[in-house]
Parts: sequence; structure tokens; C-alpha cells
Amino acid sequence: MIGAARIVATLAWRNLWRNHRRTLIMLAATTIAVWAMIFMTALMRGMVNDMVRDGVESLPGHVQVHHPAFRDDPSIGNTIPISDADIIAAFEAGGFAAWSSRINVPAMITSERETRGVTLFGIDPALDRNLTFVADGIVDGRFLVDADDKGLLVGRKLVETLETALGKRVVLMSQDPDNEIVDRGFRIVGVFEANLESQEETMVFAGKATVRNLLGVGDRVTEIAILGDDYRDVEPVYRKVVDLLDAESGAGDVEILRWTELNTYLGTMLKVMDGFVLIWTVVIFLALSFGLVNTLVMAVFERVREIGLMLALGMRPISVMSQVVLESLMLLAIGLALGTAIAWATIVPLEDGIDLSIVAEGMEFFGAATVLYPELTVFDVALANIVVLTLGFFASLSPAWRASRYEPMEAITKL
Amino acid sequence: MRQSLLILALVALPMTSAAGATEAKEIVRAAINHWRGLSSYSEMTMTIHRPDWERSMSMRAWTEGDDRSLVRITAPARDRGNGTLMDGNRMWTFSPKVNRVIKVPSSMMNQSWMGSDFSNKDVSRADDIIDQYEHTLISEKESDGHIVYEIESVPLEDAAVVWGKEMLTIRDDFVVLEHRFYDQDGLLVKALKSLDIGEMGGRVIAARQRMAKVETEDEWTEIRVDTVEYDIELADNLFTLSNLRNPRN
Amino acid sequence: MSITLRLAWRNLWRHPRRTWLTMGAMVFSNVLLVFMITLQIGMYGLMIENTLKVLTGHMQVQAKGYKDDMKMRQVVPDIRALSAKLRDALGLETVSARASAFALASSEERSFGIQVLGVEPRYEPLVSSLPGLVKAGRFLADIDAAEIVVGSVLARNLRIRVGDEITLLGSGRDGSFAAAIATVAGIFESGVTELDRSIAQVPLVFFQDVFFMDGAGHQIVLTATDLALVGAQQAAVAELLPDGDGLTVYDWDALQPGLRQAIQADISSAFFMYAILVILVAFSVLNTQLMSVLERTREFGIVMALGVSPGRLGRLVMLETGLMGLLGLLAGASLGALFTYYFTVNGFSYPGMDEMAKAFNLPAEFYPRVTLLTLTLGPLAVFVFALLSAVYPALRLHWLHPVEAMRAA
Repeated sequence: MIGAARIVATLAWRNLWRNHRRTLIMLAATTIAVWAMIFMTALMRGMVNDMVRDGVESLPGHVQVHHPAFRDDPSIGNTIPISDADIIAAFEAGGFAAWSSRINVPAMITSERETRGVTLFGIDPALDRNLTFVADGIVDGRFLVDADDKGLLVGRKLVETLETALGKRVVLMSQDPDNEIVDRGFRIVGVFEANLESQEETMVFAGKATVRNLLGVGDRVTEIAILGDDYRDVEPVYRKVVDLLDAESGAGDVEILRWTELNTYLGTMLKVMDGFVLIWTVVIFLALSFGLVNTLVMAVFERVREIGLMLALGMRPISVMSQVVLESLMLLAIGLALGTAIAWATIVPLEDGIDLSIVAEGMEFFGAATVLYPELTVFDVALANIVVLTLGFFASLSPAWRASRYEPMEAITKL
Repeated sequence: MRQSLLILALVALPMTSAAGATEAKEIVRAAINHWRGLSSYSEMTMTIHRPDWERSMSMRAWTEGDDRSLVRITAPARDRGNGTLMDGNRMWTFSPKVNRVIKVPSSMMNQSWMGSDFSNKDVSRADDIIDQYEHTLISEKESDGHIVYEIESVPLEDAAVVWGKEMLTIRDDFVVLEHRFYDQDGLLVKALKSLDIGEMGGRVIAARQRMAKVETEDEWTEIRVDTVEYDIELADNLFTLSNLRNPRN
Repeated sequence: MSITLRLAWRNLWRHPRRTWLTMGAMVFSNVLLVFMITLQIGMYGLMIENTLKVLTGHMQVQAKGYKDDMKMRQVVPDIRALSAKLRDALGLETVSARASAFALASSEERSFGIQVLGVEPRYEPLVSSLPGLVKAGRFLADIDAAEIVVGSVLARNLRIRVGDEITLLGSGRDGSFAAAIATVAGIFESGVTELDRSIAQVPLVFFQDVFFMDGAGHQIVLTATDLALVGAQQAAVAELLPDGDGLTVYDWDALQPGLRQAIQADISSAFFMYAILVILVAFSVLNTQLMSVLERTREFGIVMALGVSPGRLGRLVMLETGLMGLLGLLAGASLGALFTYYFTVNGFSYPGMDEMAKAFNLPAEFYPRVTLLTLTLGPLAVFVFALLSAVYPALRLHWLHPVEAMRAA
């Protein structure tokens, strides 16, 4: 049996190279198709990843907790009705990848020459270091040292708009819970860059304790942000947050949301993307399959006589069929190997990012950054390979079946 | 930023004397006390000049105590009756047209006050002019029979002041001649200059002052004091919301 | 029918299965291309239309510099007259004047900073989709009524309903104190939180009274009869503007630079997909035609020995490809049109499209419309590439030596 299989395989391999031109053309087509499947998928994945990283993981987190009225009216009057000490105690034990309790309120920032509306974040750098893009985005100066830090972090764009600079002072003005005006001078100790321009223009960061003093809110926060291990799998994190807050008194009075609910656009994008990857792979294969079947039909046609001879000599039809299918699968396998290799070779050099800044405003429109980092995943490569081999197998069945059904005598005498 | 209280006399200053105050600080304090008195009532004209237009408003202003003041517009007719009440950080505005008192929120504090070159924040805030700065006497000069002090005021680290420093030129009779605002690179941004000095309400004060930005000299706001009375008795309910809404005077 | 043509046609059907399969590849790609391009171009159109329809319009007349500085004093003088003049001269109803100011909106208990737009109640619904999104109450009616339409989030934040009063506080055109009370006539809900939180509309004349605009406004918003006509109508509008007021007319691209770029970014990724499809078809054709040439080596050798030039044979091969391509094109385009037409009637949607659509101002269900362009663009590309891929097999004939060729197996 094994011997027979080896013979079939050897024959299939030899047959494959009988008409090397045809095989090479088909191989080229397969390689391009496989490359396109994987490359395009990597780009799309990269784009969605970027969007999730920039729009979710870089600040909002996978799960967020607010006062129920906060999303409509983000003012310091709507703080979470649990003391921060209790929040910290509860969440420290939560074992999350990263989490933070912070204050974010609308504020006005003023320099000597300009005034702009911004969101002022009061953060604890120890908690937020791994959650906000700011820690890694500092291009000038330093990150905050602790919650009592008196310094301010400002985006590069905003620094330009305000005509100020690192080391200079600006004034922030906001309102306390009683709607009284509060203000304070801050020295810019760090300038950050962000992937989304809007983040650079509208967000400033200061120490949580400093902001609390300014706003006069005591041990309160407006937002808890929690980061899990995988943005595709937020449910365990969500459940844990609900449990943690249920244990706290007054937990009924908070709104706990998954990022897919906070950012429905991105959430849907992610779902649509998985479907799209599969459709794209199948469509490309179908376009390729016509050529594949054609090649097999021609190969079988050329060999009608010898197939007839083999059948006449007692070769079982199933062996003839396997031989054709195997020939096809060998062709596809080589194409897959080449295509995957080329895809890998073209994606790896691009992993430092593809600069799309010529359409920066357009990418911002989609909520994507101007630098695209393609992502090659084992899953997508496997998907492409499995789809091509599986569908390739079925596509080869018809020509193979025909070959095995020839009447030996008729076939031998065919010209 | 802090110029407003000097010119408009809208807000009273803390009268208590901090121990160990420097000479410069004393001079600034004295200048402000001189300008404001314990309480005051004044009538003023504010002229806003732009390259393509100019408008004037007449107003009456009362000040008392730490930081209470009330301003009411008397002319032109369409602005008549508009009032602003300030108490510390808080600011309310009243318009007879809507017959409603509205508290000015922080997002509006940097907007221009009545279209002038002063922001709402400028006119409402004064409690920090002395204590939020470090004052240094730079020079003393003789001029027109007066000694003129040049004082440099640098805001403290967390003061809600954007300027790098402010320079005050104060005469020995505590008339402020000039108040200049520098950015944090030491560049002059805007200046408030006393154009006329005269005796009013029993004191020699700056009767006409002009605020202009260095970059746009043809855009300025001028305040002219028409009459002023100092240290007068004011009604108890003068600085209340109901008075802002129902002007009895 | 010339003899070459007849020959080519017959050659095509020597191996019917092979020809069918190759044409199948073409038809498959063509159907996909027709469908996708129709969908895509239709969506871009809608995306542009719907984004612009919110507030921007196709064009705007503004004082030079207003677009960037948005200063209260950068006005269009006597704006209602100018807007009426444009309406008459262009024969276009979709022209509406607006004024805009930053103001403090207060209810009894709360205050929020918002953007107040003074609009012409009669014409605003023709250039903007916001009036149509009024969910409670109604849109503005009289041009001088003390009424206001606010977004749903603002209404929630102010805790007001239709019939309540809102106080507006701001600075007039000359910087003087502007204040007014307006009754809430309606509440709109666009679904875009930013708009619903920060926009309110009042009648233009009321706005002009409150903010001392002296008959002036800030923008005249125009919607052209067709997006494609914006260029021409923009020139016409520019002609009609009075000299010396420093007015200018901007098109949508100048007003919303992100939009065109978003489309460009999307086109480039779509282009990649189309290119792959077309290339795969081309390989299919190349394979088929090369085989068909190689099979006929002997036959070609004989006719060349008989004096037929390789060029003529090459043309024959090209003609075969052309015939095949033409069949693929016709079948593909017709099937593609039929396939797409199904969605024209029944609407196209996919799971999650409503969410995606909302982000780009698109409807949740889409009715693609096949146009000549979307019908022919893809199939023509396939046709051209099929021909190009036959060039190599056709050229091979030039290197054919008749004697050797005749000996070939």
C-alpha cells in the first residue's frame, strides 16, 4: 500500500514537471494569489490593530467604569460614587494586565497668546504608565513622576497651537463640583506625540493628586480604565470588573462598558474584519481555481493515452484519481510555500510601519493613524493555506474523476 | 492679566499686611490701595478701538472689601442695564433683555469682557495680584519731581498667570504709570499705560489708561475715569444677585 | 466575416472546456469587479453627500479667512440679499445663509458652551440634514422667531424639553454683550455625540438681532445640483460675488479636507484587490494561450513553411484572445449588472454595516446604482490585461523555425 502510494506520488511529481512552462505559469499565479491573500490580510489586520491600539488600548482601555451621567456630561460633578482608596484596594487584587483610576474633565488651557479647550487628565503615573500612550509618547522632557507631580504633559500639536514650549508655564481652568471656577499654573514638563492628531491637540495630563487639589474633589475619580490581555476577549475582564464593583457599596450607580460598546464603530470593524479576511481569501482562490482546473484538464487531456494504458494494465481508478489530485496539491503546496515566503519577506521589512502621511487627514477620518504596521499572524497564514489546499482538493476532483473514468481501450486509441 | 483691577477698580484687595513683606510688595500694595480705597464708586467710559471701528460704553462701578465689585453699563442704550457682579472667583452676568442672572462658567472666562481687550478673567480676578507674585524693586529714578519705582513681579510657580513676568512703573504718590506684560521668553506682549493723570475723588490717580498689544498697536481698549468717590458707605445688599437683577441705583 | 476571424473563432472551440474555463475566470472576476466598483463608487458618493449634507454643503461663500479663524467679525454683509441673489441667478433653491457664534446656553440650572447657528428656516432643510433629524417638536419656522433647535445630548445635559426656555449669552459682532431667551422648538438627534452636544440652531434674523450682526452672516451654504457640477457652479458663484467685500467661495474639498483623503486611502486598498483579481485572470489567459500555441507548433510550422508570416499568425493568436476576452467581457458585464441590479432593488447590507455606516454618514442599507462607468471599468481592465498576456505567446511565433516546428511532436 505504501509502495503504491509512493509510486502514485512519484508519478504525480514527474507529471507536474512534464510541461514545465504551464506548471511555472500556474505556480506564479498561485504564488501571487497566496501572497495577495496574506499580504492584504496583514495590512487589514495591521490597520484594525492600529485603530484598536490607538483608539482603545492607548487610553480608554478594554473596559471602562463611569458615573452613569458622565458620558453625556463629562463634568467633575459626575464622579464615581466609590472612594479611590476602595477602588485601588479592589482593583489591585484584580490581576489585570493594566488598570487605572483617573480624573478627566473638560478644561481651558491658556498660554500668553492662545486659549484652547482640552480634556485634563489627572493620572497616577504608576497606574497609567502601561495604559496611556503618553508614557511612551514623550518626545521632549519627561513623564510624570508620581500622582503629586506638579508638572503637565502637553501634546506636540497643542504646544505649537499655544505657541508655548517645554519648560514654560500655562494656566488650566476648570470647575469644581459646585461649579465654582478653579485655575492653576502648570509648568510643561513633557511634550508627547500621539498616533492620532486629535489626541495631541485635546489632551493634557497632570498628577492625579494635583488635579484633585485643583478641583477640590477629595478621594474621587471620574473613570476607571481596565486593560485585559486580549482586546478580542474582553468578557472575562468585564465579568471581573462587574464582580469587583458589585462587592463595593453603591456599585449599582456606575456604568460599566466594554470597549466595543464605548466605541461601537471599532467594535463592529473588528467583527466585519474577520468575515472580510475569509471572503477575500476565498474570492482570490476562486479566481485562481479557474486556472487550476484548466491546467489539470489540459494535463489529463494530454495524457489520455497513457492513462488509458495504465488503466488497461490494471491500475485502479482511485490511483489514477489520486495521482491527478496529488499533482494539483503538489502544485498548490509549492505555490503556498513560495507565496507565504514572499509575503513574509515583504511584510517583515514593513513592520516598522508604512508611512501614509500623505493622506493623514483621510486616515484620521477612519480613526486610523498615519503609520500602518502590517501584522502577520499564524492564524491568517494558516487560514490561507488551509483554504487553498481544501478548496484546491475539491477543485481537482472533477478533472481527476474524469481521468479515472476513461474507458481504457477508447483512451489508448484516442489521438 | 492682573491689570484689570488696577484700572477698573473692580475688586478690593486684601488689606492685611503680611509679615516680612518686601519693600516692593509694599509699594504694589500701596498703589492698589491708593487706586481702590476701602470702597469706591466710579463712573467710567470704556472705548474699544479696532482698525475698522470703535465703540464706547459708559459704566458705573462699585467696589468693596476683599474682592467684591459690581459694574453696570449705562450707555449706549442697547447695552444699558447689563451688569456684572464679581465675588472672588465667581462672576455673574445679568442682561435686562433676558432678565436672567447667569453664572459665567470656566469655559467662558477667557472670553473677552464686553468685547474689550480684557477677558472675563482679567476683570473678575484680583485676590492674587500681590500674593501670587514675587516682587522685586529693580530701580528708583527721579522724574518730574517724583521718585519712580520700577518693580518686577514674577508669578509663583502654580499661580494661574501665563506671563513670564510683569513690570510695574509706580510713582512715589502710588500712581501706576505703566504695567507691562512679558511672555516667558522675556518678550513684551502687551502694556497698560496711564495716559492722563489727574486729581479725582481727592486722590491723584490715572484718569485715562490704555491697554494695547505690542503686535497690534491699532487695537486697544481705553478706560477713562469720569468721576470717582473713595471710602464711601455702600448699601449692604449692593453685591448680591438680587441687586444685580433688580437695580435700585 | 474575414477568414482570419473565422479561423480564430474555430480555434477557440477546439478545446471548449479550456475556453469555457478561461472565460469563466474572466466572467467571475468581471461580475465581482462590476459589483464591487459599483458599490464602492456609490458609497463614496453617498459618503461625500451625507457628510457634506450635515452642515458643510457643497460650497460655501465666506469672508476670506473665516474658514480658519472663525472670527465673529469676518462677515458676509447683507447676507440674506446675497443668498437670494445667488438663488435667483443660479436658479437653485439649495442656497441658505447662516451666521455662527460661540455662546453660553443655559437652562434654569445648568450652562454649557455651544455653537449657535442662525439659519434660514425655509432653505436650511434643503442644504442640511439636521432639520430632518428633529426627533421631538419641529424645526424652526419663522425667520425672526425667538426659537431654538438643539441637539439631543445638549437637551439632556440642560435638562430641557420642547417648550422650555434657553438663555443664550455671548458676544455680539462688535464685541458687545449679547443675550437672548429662546423657546425650544425642537430637538434633533444625529447620532453623532459631538454634534448633538454642541450645536443649536436659531432663525437667522433673530440671530442677527441678538448678536448685532447688522444684516450680516458668516456663510452661505450651497448644494450644487450634482456633486460633479460643483466646479462649474463654484465659478458661477464666484462671478456673482460683489467686489471689495473680501468674499470668496470654497468647495467641499477645501472645507473638509479629510474627506477626499479618506476616499483616496480607501481607493488604494480597493485598487490592490482589483489588481490581484485582474492579474490572476491574466495568468489564466497566458496559460491557456501559451498551451494553445505550443499544441499547434507543428501546424504553425506547416503554414509558415507555406509562406504565412509569423506576424499574421501572431495576429491570429491575439484575435483568438480578443474574441475570448470580448465574450468574457460581455457575459461578465451583463451578469455583473444583473447581480448588482438585484441589490439595486433589494438593497445591500452586511452584518455590522449599520455601525460602520453611522461612522461614515452612510445609510444602513445601500442601493447600488449601476452606471456605464462602474459597469465597464472592471471588465475593460480585464479585457486589456487578457490581451496583454497573450502578447508573449503571440511573439513566440517569431522565434519559431518552420522546419524544426514541423518536426515537433
